Amino acid sequence: MAALREGDFAALQILLKAPSKDAVRQLCQECFSSAPAALGPLAQRAGPGLAVSAEEAEQLVSALHNLTRHVVYRGLTRAEDILCLFPENFHQNLKNLLTKIILENISAWRNEAQTSQISLPRLVDMDWRVDIKTSSDSIVRMAVPTCLLQLKIQEDAALCGKNPVVSALTMELSKETLDTMLEGLGRIRDQLSAVANK
Amino acid sequence: MGLLNFTREPVPEAVSADMHNLNQLSAQQFSALTEVLFRFLTEPKEVERFLTQLSDFATMNKISLGPLKNIVKSILLVPNGALKRNLSSEQVRADFIALGLNEEKASYFAEQWKVNSPTLTRLAVGQTLMINQLIDMEWKFGVTAGSSELEKVGSIFLQLKLVVKKGSQLENVYVELTLPQFYSFLHEMERVKTSLESFS
Repeated sequence: MAALREGDFAALQILLKAPSKDAVRQLCQECFSSAPAALGPLAQRAGPGLAVSAEEAEQLVSALHNLTRHVVYRGLTRAEDILCLFPENFHQNLKNLLTKIILENISAWRNEAQTSQISLPRLVDMDWRVDIKTSSDSIVRMAVPTCLLQLKIQEDAALCGKNPVVSALTMELSKETLDTMLEGLGRIRDQLSAVANK
Repeated sequence: MGLLNFTREPVPEAVSADMHNLNQLSAQQFSALTEVLFRFLTEPKEVERFLTQLSDFATMNKISLGPLKNIVKSILLVPNGALKRNLSSEQVRADFIALGLNEEKASYFAEQWKVNSPTLTRLAVGQTLMINQLIDMEWKFGVTAGSSELEKVGSIFLQLKLVVKKGSQLENVYVELTLPQFYSFLHEMERVKTSLESFS
């Protein structure tokens, strides 16, 4: 998470050279979504469109990244709160445009931040089937139902970047194991309701 | 020897002689030996204890341990085959008689078999192959208060640790679920339970 710096707002004024409002919008989105390490290449792509030097492009991209991330971090949702961030002498129209763009995107950006936060491997899918075991080397004839459960688990999004690694784990549960598991899950549900009702 | 219920293969020669020796035991001695045998069958991991008890039996009844062990090996052929084939106590009795055991002892053993077979069947089913068996599940849930990207979050997370037996080793699998996923998981597991119950 980056904090807003002194030179950021000066750099933002470079946006006045942008060809259109949509170009500004596009750039804001790209700067938010980009990881700090990827800002360099982004600046190189954006520079020519704005007719600025490579150095200025980098400052701009970095400033936009910091601004958008800061707003999401603080959880600002009102126009007044965002407008307050800008210094007194900042270009009025640009300030309004940036605030508008940020407000449009804030909830999508918040979701993006939440889904990409660090976590244990996540459950992405779950499938099950029930089999009846009819015979084995230890008993020639039986009728024992058993459950096969497959969990698809995705490794930490932050580690995988754009190519998430999903592994599938298939396990077998006897009826007793399933009953015990359901007991545990039921207790979780009860505790969750107790917390929700407080 | 007629057709046996507990096996399709020919029985070793020594079995007849062993049955003959068994017939020489008194009813009390046979009952004590049967008890030792069934205790072992219902707790197959207690090998040390079984051997100790056999050795005590041999000493108390002035029988040599070596021949006793052979006799026990022969006797055990029947319950092992009977378990595999879900034989009734009638069939077990008939097989012992066919092997040469006298009626009184065969009936006694068959009775003990009837009493113990639910436990023994459960044990045999438990030994059946299971792939990646789920052994244990631990869980915790809490609230994410904040992160480096979001100052205030307030979302609930649920973490599960599943202990799975892969081959002879235990493997821990850690998974995180969101709240909607948890409810959906719970719902699916309840459906599985209903399905399993309808087949039991």
